[in-house]
Amino acid sequence: MRLAAILLGVVLAGAVALAVADWRGGSAGEPPTGSTLSATYVDPDGNGRLDRGAGEALVDRSELAPSARPGRQLALFAQLSDAHVVDEESPARLPFLDRLGAPLTSTFRPQEALTGQVLAATVESLNALGPQAVVSTGDLIDNAQSNELSQALSILRGGTVDPNGGAPGYDGVQSADNPDPLYYRPDVDAPRHPGLLEEAERPFPSPGLHAPWYPVMGNHELLFQGEVRPSARTSSVATGRRALLRLDPSVEIPTDERALTPDLVDRLLSGGLPGPTAGTPPDRSRRQLPAEGVARRLRGAGDVGGRRPLLDYSFDIAPGVRGIALDAARRDGGAKGRLGPGQIEWLSRELDRAGRRWVVVFSHQPLDSFAGGRRALAVLDRSPGVVAAVAGHTHRNSIVPRRSPSGGYWLVTTGALIDYPQQSRAFRLLQTANGVALETWMVDHSEANLAGVSRELAFLDAQGGRPRGNAGTRLDRNARLFKASSIRR
Amino acid sequence: MIASARGAWSRLRGRRGRSLLAAAGIAAVAAMMGTATTVAYGLATGFDRAAERADLPDLIARFEPEQVDEVDARVEALPNVASRSYRQEATEVPLASAGQATSSGAVHVVGDGRRGYAIVAGDDLSGAGDEVVVERGLADAWGLAPGDRLSVAGVDARIVGVAVAPDNVAFPLASAPRVYVASQGLGAQLGADPGLTNMALIWSQDPSRLDTTLVQARAVSFGIDNLRFLTRAGVQVQLDEAAGIVIALLIAFSAAALGVAGVTLGATARAEVQRRLETIGVMRGLGFSRIGVAAQYGLEAVIVAVPAGALGLGVGALLAYGPSARLLESLNELPPGAALLAPLAGCLLVIVGLVALATMWPAWRAASRRPAEILRGAELTARPRRLPYPAGFFGLGARLVAARVGRTAATVSVLAVSTALVLLMLALATRLDALQNDPASLGKRYQLTVNGAPDSTLPVVRDVPGVAAAAPRYEASAADSFQLGETFKLIAFPGDHTEYESPPVTEGRRVQTAGEAEIGAGLANALGARRGSTIAAQLGSGREVRFRVVGIVAALGNEGRVAYVRPTRLLEGDPGLTPAIAVRLSPGADPAQVTSELRSRGIDTAAVGAATSSSREFLGVLADVLRVVAIVNILIALFILTQSLALTALERRPTLAVLRAGGAGRREVALVLAGGATLVVALAAPAGVVLERAVLGPAVADMAVDYVTLPLSADVGQITFAVLGLLLLALTAALWVARQVGRTPIAVALREE
Repeated sequence: MRLAAILLGVVLAGAVALAVADWRGGSAGEPPTGSTLSATYVDPDGNGRLDRGAGEALVDRSELAPSARPGRQLALFAQLSDAHVVDEESPARLPFLDRLGAPLTSTFRPQEALTGQVLAATVESLNALGPQAVVSTGDLIDNAQSNELSQALSILRGGTVDPNGGAPGYDGVQSADNPDPLYYRPDVDAPRHPGLLEEAERPFPSPGLHAPWYPVMGNHELLFQGEVRPSARTSSVATGRRALLRLDPSVEIPTDERALTPDLVDRLLSGGLPGPTAGTPPDRSRRQLPAEGVARRLRGAGDVGGRRPLLDYSFDIAPGVRGIALDAARRDGGAKGRLGPGQIEWLSRELDRAGRRWVVVFSHQPLDSFAGGRRALAVLDRSPGVVAAVAGHTHRNSIVPRRSPSGGYWLVTTGALIDYPQQSRAFRLLQTANGVALETWMVDHSEANLAGVSRELAFLDAQGGRPRGNAGTRLDRNARLFKASSIRR
Repeated sequence: MIASARGAWSRLRGRRGRSLLAAAGIAAVAAMMGTATTVAYGLATGFDRAAERADLPDLIARFEPEQVDEVDARVEALPNVASRSYRQEATEVPLASAGQATSSGAVHVVGDGRRGYAIVAGDDLSGAGDEVVVERGLADAWGLAPGDRLSVAGVDARIVGVAVAPDNVAFPLASAPRVYVASQGLGAQLGADPGLTNMALIWSQDPSRLDTTLVQARAVSFGIDNLRFLTRAGVQVQLDEAAGIVIALLIAFSAAALGVAGVTLGATARAEVQRRLETIGVMRGLGFSRIGVAAQYGLEAVIVAVPAGALGLGVGALLAYGPSARLLESLNELPPGAALLAPLAGCLLVIVGLVALATMWPAWRAASRRPAEILRGAELTARPRRLPYPAGFFGLGARLVAARVGRTAATVSVLAVSTALVLLMLALATRLDALQNDPASLGKRYQLTVNGAPDSTLPVVRDVPGVAAAAPRYEASAADSFQLGETFKLIAFPGDHTEYESPPVTEGRRVQTAGEAEIGAGLANALGARRGSTIAAQLGSGREVRFRVVGIVAALGNEGRVAYVRPTRLLEGDPGLTPAIAVRLSPGADPAQVTSELRSRGIDTAAVGAATSSSREFLGVLADVLRVVAIVNILIALFILTQSLALTALERRPTLAVLRAGGAGRREVALVLAGGATLVVALAAPAGVVLERAVLGPAVADMAVDYVTLPLSADVGQITFAVLGLLLLALTAALWVARQVGRTPIAVALREE
């Protein structure tokens, strides 16, 4: 009887402890780092609702080298990509093009008012991971506007961030009083989030990245809509008092980005905005920055020195591990990448300078997606120390092996923070008996400051990352990537 | 327990007459409940049952023909989608079979995937060349069965099955009979392009989250013209609107039936206890506990109530099942079948419990006194005051009944409610009959329109006798300004439009100012508009007008794709818009006479879209259901009167025996009882009329006010009919009870004194 009473007491005490833990929000299943190794967001019922589910263990990928027991950790670093921090109220945006479908679906997203909050929540998760370096692989902002860059950089620096553009409060296409049914309006459309937009425009705190961070130039940092070189006309639209509601039916939208030249855009804007407009509060901070100005601000904000117009640079991720950032963003327009011969030569020299150190190369556009990038890959193919070429831009997770005479390396792309699944990526380089193992796993951002709502909306978006399969397969997410090397370190 | 039951059974057999009377009363009440339950349960669950069996999709999207691949790419991207299938719907297709023909057939060319209909006879399509599945409504109306031939657009087809899909009401209530053909089979012969679709059927993983799916579907719908969404919930609302009045009425009726049962059974039990006080006294003297005494009475009550209740429920259910099933078939729904047994069993439990409690409570109270006091036969209530009554046998009967104030009040109350219900049903059935020929259709309160008349016509129309009101009615077709291909109607009346059209407000409020709009649920669904949203309408003039949505209404017309506004802004957008004149007639006015009068003044009118020939049948079925309920109600009234008189006769058996000993025959006894019954009727009839006219009629009319104007106050003829009916029932009851009294020997009756 007494034993039974003691057992009952123990059980009750345990239950109370669990209940208290749960009440305090200290859910045992939620990893403080957002690591998807232990738990992640899933929709097991397929009903469009995300819940915390089981994590995904690392999958051994031995296409380049046989699996080996990982040993000493050489480096721990992280990548965030395509945050697209956007001034969603800007008159320089063209959200009405979204309804035309691909390739214009990035002109509007249901969650676009929350990009700053998502970046801040990502910073929070990455801080908990404690990496030695964080690399932003481009498209930190969306529309080449000064105020977007200021907001993104202040999030990474830390402090109170004011996401509002124009007049106080929300003044964009998602207002409840917008009769256009093709926009998600959180006050009236499901899932309803009354007051979300007002809340989204309020200042919010960001812890700032604790680790050194390294920027990579993306096309959206430099180009209007990520495609067109800014001009005086586009900049005046951005800072103007009128916003285009829809294009005049006579305007034909070129689907080939090569046709979308600055001249064409200037011609379109020569007679004013080409369609019906509405008034919008002007904001001088929306001016579009020249490419050199963007590069200068990024160099100043990240742990990057130098004055070169291109943001090519190298840095130490950790002792014995070298990072090389390539600036493949075109200054003349177009979303595809470009690397000039000078940059290829510079890359070759940097690889030589890296010596016996392991090398990870970062770019915005995947190097295998454009001609200059493929030439860069040919250079990397000759270097036995290259472990991976890491990129963003595609908004999709992917890991593929690249075989080469020197042992090969891994081509890694990581999804966007603006689109589902809104994850960043962690890397851990480990010594093995015959080379290295690069462990990589996805990191969920926290729920802080409406970021959880953004994830929900991004998941539901029928033109977003979910239906496009941006999360990739399990092999594209959490994997242990083996690489053999003849170099003995 | 078995011994107690045997004892109770033998006591009941010992007073067989009274037991049978009690059983008859219980059976009558149970029949009423059985009727109400059968109809109400069938209607309340019919849609879910049919939708479940038919695997009805959660979302049906109709649009102009598109490539299947193009549509599927968009549907596949939606969240919360479990599965999907596509059809081609062709309308205005000639169908013919065995002397029957229509040119308005709807052919659904079905492809792979889930069907969204249930086969209720025969087989589904196998894909063979000449196969067709017909909807049950068509099969019933034309007498078709699997194996018969049907001409579909001139192509001879073999009917392989009969299907039900509750996404619409059935033919002929729906004007277009529907048939299904396979895309590889008859569809190909009819020339349907398998690569095209104009109808997507979507099943969700979680129907409660369908709204998120719908929002995304809308967001990716650009370029798909004339897109119309119909959700499963929306279908249910539309169908329920048709049956809602009947369900509400039956629920009220069931509640009244329970009240009747409680009061009647309570009064019976009380009188029985009073009559058997001696027995209770003896039992208490022998040492029976109060619980034991109450349990004995309870057991007797249960033994009577179980078979009587079951019988009554069964009869009521059988009476109502046929009309109820026909009603469900009109709505493309399925009758409950064996599933009805559960609610009927619940009713039986309620009845038995009620009877047992009504019997045990007075026994428990009586047993609380000392045995000697009980044996002295102490009354349970105080004696009533003497009131002036007519002399003679008739007056004596009234006095005898009035002596039991409590019971008389209860009987009068129940009979008054019963009278009110009968009057209500007579009024409703008459109204439904009238609706079949009346040119007032659901949702509209005006009966005539004058088209193309100059402004000066309006005062002339208003002056015509029989015209209650007339106002200009503007109607404009509009398209959503954002190229969604959504079209809808803007309807405007100066001032309060609810005088002429009054769809119920489901959210928000009515229009009050020029910039506001009430929009139909169909339009709200299509545009994602809610209270506080703005709608932008492109008018025929090419100009855009915007309105702020202040309310969502359950409008029936144009699939709910309507917006009620004030004319000011509409006319700003299209100054050339000319109104018709909506004419509302005074109650009782003859439309033909008013039309003739208007014509004599040079004004041509048109009848407002009336109940169609197909909905006439539906309304006829509704009237049948009401008649069945009314008949059962009349039986209840008869029972109440008989029970009341029987109790009086039972209590006053010695008095009646003295009268009989003094030379009074059966006629005089009947006169005594008729006097009592007339008193009850005299009190109950006016109370029932007042109840119907002041409470029930207005209440039910108010429930229906958003769909149709239903003046449900019983007229003089109906009241006269009801009062005469009551008197007839009273006379019947008096004669029957007098006959029973006459069967008891006078000496036996006197011995009880």
